[in-house]
Amino acid sequence: MADFVQLVILGLLAGGVYVAVGVGFGLVWGVLNIVNLAHGSLVIVGGYLTWQLFTTLHLDPFLTLPVDAVALFVFGYALQRGVINRIIRAPLLFTFLLTFGLNLIVVNMLLLIFGSDFRSVTPSYSGQGLELGSIVIPYVRLISLGVAIALSASLAFVLNRTRTGLAINAIAADRDAAQLVGIDLRHAYAVTYGLGAACAGVAGGLIAMIQAITPTAGEPYTLQAFVVVILGGLGRVSATVVGGLAFGLVEAFGQSIPGSGSVFANAIAFSLMVLVLVTRPQGLLGRLR
Amino acid sequence: MIVRGDSDRRWRRIFLILGIVVAAYALLAPLTSLDAAQSAGVPLLADRLWFRIATFIAMFVVMATAWNIIGGITGYAAFGNVAFFGIGAYTTGMLIAKARWPFLVALPVAPIIATAFATLIGLPLLRLRGHYFAVASLGVGVAVGELVQNVEYHGQPIFGGASGLFLPIYSIDNRGLFFFYLMVLAAGISIAVTWWVLRSRFGYGLIAIRENEEAAAVLGVNTTAYKVAAFALAAALTGMAGGIFSQWNVFINQDNAFPIEYNVQMILMALLGGTGTVFGPAAGAVLLQLLIQFLGGSLPISADIPFVSDAARPIVAQVILGVLLVVVVIFVPRGVIDFFGGRTRLSLAYLRRSLRETSL
Repeated sequence: MADFVQLVILGLLAGGVYVAVGVGFGLVWGVLNIVNLAHGSLVIVGGYLTWQLFTTLHLDPFLTLPVDAVALFVFGYALQRGVINRIIRAPLLFTFLLTFGLNLIVVNMLLLIFGSDFRSVTPSYSGQGLELGSIVIPYVRLISLGVAIALSASLAFVLNRTRTGLAINAIAADRDAAQLVGIDLRHAYAVTYGLGAACAGVAGGLIAMIQAITPTAGEPYTLQAFVVVILGGLGRVSATVVGGLAFGLVEAFGQSIPGSGSVFANAIAFSLMVLVLVTRPQGLLGRLR
Repeated sequence: MIVRGDSDRRWRRIFLILGIVVAAYALLAPLTSLDAAQSAGVPLLADRLWFRIATFIAMFVVMATAWNIIGGITGYAAFGNVAFFGIGAYTTGMLIAKARWPFLVALPVAPIIATAFATLIGLPLLRLRGHYFAVASLGVGVAVGELVQNVEYHGQPIFGGASGLFLPIYSIDNRGLFFFYLMVLAAGISIAVTWWVLRSRFGYGLIAIRENEEAAAVLGVNTTAYKVAAFALAAALTGMAGGIFSQWNVFINQDNAFPIEYNVQMILMALLGGTGTVFGPAAGAVLLQLLIQFLGGSLPISADIPFVSDAARPIVAQVILGVLLVVVVIFVPRGVIDFFGGRTRLSLAYLRRSLRETSL
C-alpha cells in the first residue's frame, strides 16, 4: 500500500513538469494550428538561462523563472512575427518542417555556446524532502508541481479574463472572423506563440532543477508534450493539466513494472497516445468539435 | 506567367543533358575500378570514398522516392519512415547474422516484413489525419528503435542490444562496386514504381485522397485500402534500402538503423526536388546529400567555413541545414524542380509570390 501511495505521489510530482511543458505546446497547437517541434528546444533555452543565472549570479533557481518567462516571451514573439507567420497558410507539412528546422538551429546554437556537457542546478535544498512516514517528497519536485499549477492557472486567467486572451480565443474559433472584428492577426499570433514560449521557458527552469540538462535534452519533451495534450484533449488549459498529471502517473507505474525500467519510456508514451487517438480522439476531457 | 518557349526549351534541354551526363558518370565511373580496367591503364575515377558517398546518395534516393509515395502523392505527412529502414536492416541483419542465411536470400525478406509492419500499424494510424498522423508516425519511428535495442529474452538482448549487430562480411569481388550497383538498382526500382503509380488507377486514387479525401470516398475510392497500400509500398522500398544497408555496412545498431534525422532529411529531399513528381525526390536526394556530405567535410573538395574550428564544424553544418530547411519552406515551397521544368523562373517576383501565398 505504501508503495502504491509512493508511486501515485511520484507520478503526480513528475506530472507537474509535463503540465508545464504541455500547456504552452497545447496553446500554440490549439490556437495557431502549429505542432511546434521547436518546443523542446525552447524548454532547454529556459533551462540554460536558469543555469546561467544560478551559477553566475547565485540567484535562487525559482526566482529565475520570471526571467525565463520574459526572455522566452520576447524570443517567441520575434520568432513568430519574423518567421513562422510567413507560412501560416501553407500546408501542415511545412509548419512541421519549419519548426523542425528552428529546433535544429536552436539546439546546435546551444551546443556551440554551452557545449554538450551535462549542467545541473543544485540549490542548497535540492537533496532535502518532506518526510511523511516512509514516503519522502523532494522539496524541489513539490514546489515545481505548485509552480506548474500556478503557471496553468495564470495562463487560463490570461486567456479567459483579459482582452488579449479573448482575442486569442477568437482566433482559435475563427481566424477570418477575428480579423473582421478588428483583431491584428500578426500581433495576436505572435503574442500567442510568445505565451507558449514563455511557458516553455518556465518549464525549462523547472527541468534544470530536476535533471541534468544538455542542448539535446529537450527533444523528448516535445514528443511528451504532444502525448500530454492528446491525452487531456486539445483546446483547454485544464484538460492539459489533467493530461500532464495522468501522463506522470502512467509513466511512474510503467517504470515500476519489473524488467521494463525506463528504457521503454517512449514506447509506453506512444502506445498510450495511439490508444487514446484510436479510442477517444477528443482526449480524456476534450469535447468533440 | 509569361511563356518563353524557345529559351525555356533550350534550358530544359541543357538540364536534361546535364542530368544524363551526371548519371552516366555516376554509373560508369565505378567500372574504372575493375582490375581489367586498371591493368588497361584507365585512370581510377572511383575510390573507396567515392563508393561510400555514392552508395549513400543512392540509398537516400530510394528513401526520398519512397516517402514521396505516401507523403507527396497521397499527402499523408509520414514522419516515421525510418522505422521501415531500420526494420529492413534488422530483418536482413538477423537472418544473416543469427540464421546464417545467404545475403541474396535474406534481402527479399526485408521488404516483406516492412510491408507487413506498415500494414499492421497503417490500419490504425491512417485513420488519423494531419498533425495526429504526422506525430503518431514519428512516435512509431522512435518506439520501434527503442524496442529493437531493448527487447530481451531470458536476459539476453534479442537483436544485439545496445552493442549492435555484426554481420559477416559478404565475400564477393569488387564489394564496393557490387553494393553501389545494388543500391542504384533499388533506386531505379523506386523511381520505376513511382512512375507506374502516377500512371495507374491506383495513383489517381491516391491523388484524389490528397486533394479531398471525402470526395475521393464518394467517388468510390476505397480510401483505407489505398492509403494502407501506399504506406506499405513506401515501407517495402524503404525496407529494401535498409536490407542492403545492413549487409553493406556490416554493422547495425539503433543509431545507424533508426536515425531520427533521416525522417526529416528524406522529406526535405522530396520537398526540395518537388513532391508528387517522378524524378524530383531523386534529384533532391542527390543535391541535399552532397550538401550534407560537403558541410560535414567528408567530400574530397571541401571549403573552410570562416571563424569555425574543425571541432565545431559538424555543429555548424547542422545549423546551416536548419537555416536551409527554413529558407526552403518559406521561399520555395513547391521545390526547386519548378525552375527546371520550364514552368517558372527563379526571380524576386517568384519568391515574393511564394511568401504572399502562405503568410498571414
